[in-house]
Amino acid sequence: MQNQPPPLWQLVDLSKAFPGVQALDTVSLSIERGQIHALLGENGSGKTTLAKCLAGAHHPDSGQMLLEGAPVTLEHPLDAVAHGVATIYQEFSLVPSLTVAENMFLGRPLKKRAGLVDWEQMRRQTTSTLQELAIQIDPDAVVRQLSVAEQQLIEIAKAMSLESSLLIMDEPTAALGLAETRRLHELIRRLATQGKAILYISHRLDEVFQIADRVTVLKDGRRVDTRAIGELQMNDVVRMMIGVDIEQHYPKEANSRPEVCLQVEDLSTQNGVNGVSFDIRVGEVFGLGGMVGAGRTEIAKALYGLDRPETGTVRLYGKPVRFSTPTEAIAAGVGLVPENRKADGLFFNFEGPPNITISRLKGLLRGGFLSLGEERRIGGEYVRKLSITPIALERTVQFLSGGNQQKVVIARWLYSQAKLLILDEPTQGVDIGAKLEVYRVINELTRQGISILLISSDYPELLAMSDRIAVVRDGSILQVAAAGELSEYELLTIASGAVSK
Amino acid sequence: MRNLNKLSRFFIVGPLIALVLAVILITFTTDRFMTAQNLMNVSLQVSAVAIAAIGGTMVILTGGIDLSPGSSVALTTCVLAVLVKLMGLPLPLGILVVLVMGAAMGAVNGVLTAYGRIPTFIVTLATLSVYRGLAFLITEGTPIFNISPGLDRVFYDRLFGIPLPFYYVMVLYVMTYVFLRHTSLGRAIYAVGGNESAARLSGIQVKRVRLAAFVLAGFTASISGVLLAARLNSGSPNYGVGLELQAIAAAVIGGASLSGGIGNIVYTLFGALTVAVVQNGLNLNAVPAAWQNITLGLIIVLAVSLDMWRADLGRGLSRIFSFQRSEEKQDRTTSD
Repeated sequence: MQNQPPPLWQLVDLSKAFPGVQALDTVSLSIERGQIHALLGENGSGKTTLAKCLAGAHHPDSGQMLLEGAPVTLEHPLDAVAHGVATIYQEFSLVPSLTVAENMFLGRPLKKRAGLVDWEQMRRQTTSTLQELAIQIDPDAVVRQLSVAEQQLIEIAKAMSLESSLLIMDEPTAALGLAETRRLHELIRRLATQGKAILYISHRLDEVFQIADRVTVLKDGRRVDTRAIGELQMNDVVRMMIGVDIEQHYPKEANSRPEVCLQVEDLSTQNGVNGVSFDIRVGEVFGLGGMVGAGRTEIAKALYGLDRPETGTVRLYGKPVRFSTPTEAIAAGVGLVPENRKADGLFFNFEGPPNITISRLKGLLRGGFLSLGEERRIGGEYVRKLSITPIALERTVQFLSGGNQQKVVIARWLYSQAKLLILDEPTQGVDIGAKLEVYRVINELTRQGISILLISSDYPELLAMSDRIAVVRDGSILQVAAAGELSEYELLTIASGAVSK
Repeated sequence: MRNLNKLSRFFIVGPLIALVLAVILITFTTDRFMTAQNLMNVSLQVSAVAIAAIGGTMVILTGGIDLSPGSSVALTTCVLAVLVKLMGLPLPLGILVVLVMGAAMGAVNGVLTAYGRIPTFIVTLATLSVYRGLAFLITEGTPIFNISPGLDRVFYDRLFGIPLPFYYVMVLYVMTYVFLRHTSLGRAIYAVGGNESAARLSGIQVKRVRLAAFVLAGFTASISGVLLAARLNSGSPNYGVGLELQAIAAAVIGGASLSGGIGNIVYTLFGALTVAVVQNGLNLNAVPAAWQNITLGLIIVLAVSLDMWRADLGRGLSRIFSFQRSEEKQDRTTSD
């Protein structure tokens, strides 16, 4: 034992807290050369935080990181690069208007003695790096004209050209098709045989089982276990990911009525919706379950007039509708509480009441002019109804807590008399108390006969608050089931592709 | 919380303080400022800037900027001169035509920015050049004097002893105030400037709103142009140079945020008055024109940096505020 060389990277008791969450809780992990190490866990389990600590983007609150047995501190992403860590995030870091070679040497151009850029040398080195990785892409190609998969490969080549010993990949196949994924996996395997270590973060269990040597499962910031892939079955992993949940009370009311509110048939868009069909009843909470990037938000966008449907029909209360703008969708009685309420939901230059009335200003018209007195009255009414803090009436909404902000956005759609409300991650980033408030509001809405399309990555929440759930993967609905008939285990199994279709 | 209100009120009243300070300062430097004749002059001078600043403020509220009003004014005076003096159109009809043309000039800006997705800065910088170029083209570069005897009266006539431009300014500002505060389009202008993405998702037709703001800006610029033509009873491609800067200065001194969504039209009027008073003071003290331009530039920089500091201050206050709020919450739970 003593004579064995230390692992490439050893993480000891890493902890990292963000306001309100313990993102990492004394996680220990070894990463060995020549191994593909998969990091698994539900959304919010701490995978990305762990990767960012290794990439120097986050600083752990406590714990140690050892590189070949020697402790190192990564103050800055460039420190991590200097220590041989290359990271490929979900968003690409390539400049679309530059060529492949220019991107490879971005920020560290090779220079001739006179201080001029040595294009010849850069092109030659790029060619040899690409050849080494068996990537057949022209170094002079402009990145914008490459496919997403090719860009992904260039991103990896760029990372490898930094002579890194550890490659971290966060959801590398999210944007790739089947053939492209296979090509990427071949490349990753080749890198592993060259002695590189790879930390592979993915939601997709099927992929992980195809490629990984070892698997570490995280749950709520803690390491559940690390095992060799051969010792595991997929359902073991799913069970580890779910863990034993602390029993949480969800105040679910069943308010679904027999009448149909929304009927969707064979809906497809260019933006990743592939022939989905479902219906939502009056007063029903219809959940969309699936991994991030599975196409849930894209379905919402198609229904809200943001993405144009290519095929399929949508009926609202039996009437065929086709929205080309949100304005039309809203007029027909559809509302959207967007995932990112700060960027897409709230007006920070307004107090609460104007934030609530903005989608139905004509309700304030008195003799052709907006009545601000009426607006204040309406604001006060919703503040009471949804128990929003009264501060919302006087101050601009930037001063409100996340939960209060969310309720302001929901109040907007109540006031605009939406019949179908799309809630995209409505409890993301709000505390437990505010979550319960949101659930209470959902009950209140459905009691009034409003139908809800609920998108949530919090599976226990989704299962508890929905009447029925559709499991979405790759832009298609794989299964629709009554929420009571689906366990978190089954949902995760289907959504992560642990069962083949 | 009480402190916060006090502070924010201070910043709203800021433009008024700037005006009062400017007046006091100038009164001390020259005794020719506080005379009835001079104050009358100032209020006449301010009218063109104040009216152009209405449109400037509306564009700034949507998060854009309009650099073209100076050139729109020049083109308006020239077209009015050509229509009335050279083509013999009746004066009222001539005025009507140039006001419609003003709206059309604004529409060009609006279509290019909203539908062509070209930044407002670039579009209006281009039309700044184009509109003045057109003014030179139709006048062949020479001013046209004595457009019509009736035109003087538009500017110099009095009602109850007060010159007409005073009424134009008041009426337009009251209308704009009501428009911005009490109409859906006015509210939408603030919404688009505050958060364009949220505005779109709330059903606001963002492009139309942007277009409307520019149409109104073109319209007010042409009113400003008619006043300028009436004051000098002439049309010239050299009129209105630098007016865009004065209009922007008025809006910014008045507290309008260049990032959009925040501003109050009443304070734009104070801003315009401040610009006019400062200019008048420099004139009375016989400061050369070069220094007047430099002063205006410095005032704009000062006003914009106040806007930026205000944002920082706001963040600082919000931290203090959220701290206080949690205290309040505790108070409430204990009293319950």
